[in-house]
Amino acid sequence: MRQSDKISAYLEIVRQQIRWKKAQPIVLEEIENHIIDQKDAFMRDGLNEEEATARALAEMGDPVVVGEQLDRTHRPKPDYSLLALTSLLVFLGLMVQFSISSNIFLAKWMFERQIVWSVIAVAVMFIAYFADFTIIGRYHKIIFSLLSLLVFVCYLFTGEVHGRSVKMVYLLLLFPTFFAGFVYNMRNKGYGGLILCGLVLIIPAFLAELAPSAAILFLLCVSCLFILTAAVFKGWFNVNKKSALFTMYIPTVITLLSVFLFILMRDGYVSQRLQVILNPYLDPRGAGYVTIMIRRLLTNSRFIGQGLPISGLEDYTVFQLLPEVNTNYLLIYLIYRFGWITFVGIITLLAAFIIRAVIICRKQKSVLGFLISLAIISTFAIQCIIYIASNLGFMLFAPLSLPLISYGGGGLVINMALIGILLSLSRTGYLVRDKMEVGFKKTSFIQYDNGRVIIDLKRTT
Amino acid sequence: MKIDKSLLAGSTIILILKLLEEGDMYGYQMIEELSKKSNNVFQLKAGTLYPLLHTLEQRGLATSYNKTADNAKVRKYYSITKKGRSYLQEKEKEWKTYATAVNKVLGGEIFAAI
Repeated sequence: MRQSDKISAYLEIVRQQIRWKKAQPIVLEEIENHIIDQKDAFMRDGLNEEEATARALAEMGDPVVVGEQLDRTHRPKPDYSLLALTSLLVFLGLMVQFSISSNIFLAKWMFERQIVWSVIAVAVMFIAYFADFTIIGRYHKIIFSLLSLLVFVCYLFTGEVHGRSVKMVYLLLLFPTFFAGFVYNMRNKGYGGLILCGLVLIIPAFLAELAPSAAILFLLCVSCLFILTAAVFKGWFNVNKKSALFTMYIPTVITLLSVFLFILMRDGYVSQRLQVILNPYLDPRGAGYVTIMIRRLLTNSRFIGQGLPISGLEDYTVFQLLPEVNTNYLLIYLIYRFGWITFVGIITLLAAFIIRAVIICRKQKSVLGFLISLAIISTFAIQCIIYIASNLGFMLFAPLSLPLISYGGGGLVINMALIGILLSLSRTGYLVRDKMEVGFKKTSFIQYDNGRVIIDLKRTT
Repeated sequence: MKIDKSLLAGSTIILILKLLEEGDMYGYQMIEELSKKSNNVFQLKAGTLYPLLHTLEQRGLATSYNKTADNAKVRKYYSITKKGRSYLQEKEKEWKTYATAVNKVLGGEIFAAI
């Protein structure tokens, strides 16, 4: 028997004791390195290879015992706090939908529909949870193209609601997460990689423009910039951080400003809308109506309990005053109907969710896990911010959805899929490592370094 | 000198954290350092070390990272966290109280001063 076979046999016994397959390779690699180090040390002390190997293995201890101890340490554990918060939010959403079901037309049908969607969403979450999230990094091009195609097909073949392709909007929420996979594959690619990341973003931006949804465009831009910035700070592109940030932000700001100015000058409607956002009383019966109504409802709300009647509109309910309350203005309904305390409660829950997600993000050992969790957090957080802002009367964008709570199957399923990925990151993230070190110098065949010319004959890439 | 195992079990975590307090190390290095520092009293079995290290990591007392050594071997280095440091301080205090008490009983006031 060769000496290396003895070591392999030992490792095989250890491996058999560790039930969680995912943990095996990383644990065994460490043990193997140790045995080899120990063996080499014994050989330096004058032992021959056979004796050295035998003693190194003896030092390690009984492989069954070692394996059992390692098995006890490495058990797949879901993040129970995040799971609990998720179920609480979904349950809360259903409760709210149920409580308004007596107030609107077709409400019973809508509530039942929402229950069916919730069941589907939970199933999707578990699928994402048990799937291997590293796929996002490995097949980034295929996934990115497929998603783009899917969104486009969705645009062509699904119906529109108020001139907007709603289903498409929710699929677009997946882009930041898959963009993270794309960025991950640009390690050490320098400015070329950074620019490629920027170029690839044109696809989802174009699709968001097709929808058309300014809110999703905003979400995509902010999330993806966030991911890129984080990657730059991690030294992922292997470029000077400051100039990389300039490379990213100057074209972005110029593009956004010029688009903004262009729309303002070309389109009377949009510029009028912007003025109304700033001062809704300019158009109280048209574009400013919702904002004014929100302000009146909110000023009449109390901390606890039903809000005070609104003068002149005493006979109307929130459902008659605002459009699509169950999807877009859920928070106003809750604040006016039950008091600001419900708002405080929901914000606390969502904040707790985001904080827990940040903790998971910080525990990630691989840049892939880090970037994906960051993408999910920002997707989730920006949806919340847009929704909350619009419900408080800052109507810059039409609200997308209040994650897990507001009515609608598409948003629920997509958000639950993202949460599933996040849960999977918390379960296995600490085991996944990047194959190459961050900031590892890309070596070329001939290098010039500090007055020396280095010709690297062993270069493999 | 052989030391009873039960005496070692609880203190091993303190010893490992103490080593890491001085600098980041990989597993093999820790065993070497430990036996050097204790004049070969603490001959920690490698098989015990790794489960312990992994537990420390999961409890957030230490973190690990990969680093490529000169011979292109990737080594897993461990590093103590803030939480680990405060845990160590607390445990060190506990240990000193305990050791002083044991010494007092065993050898009277003279040993207690050590």
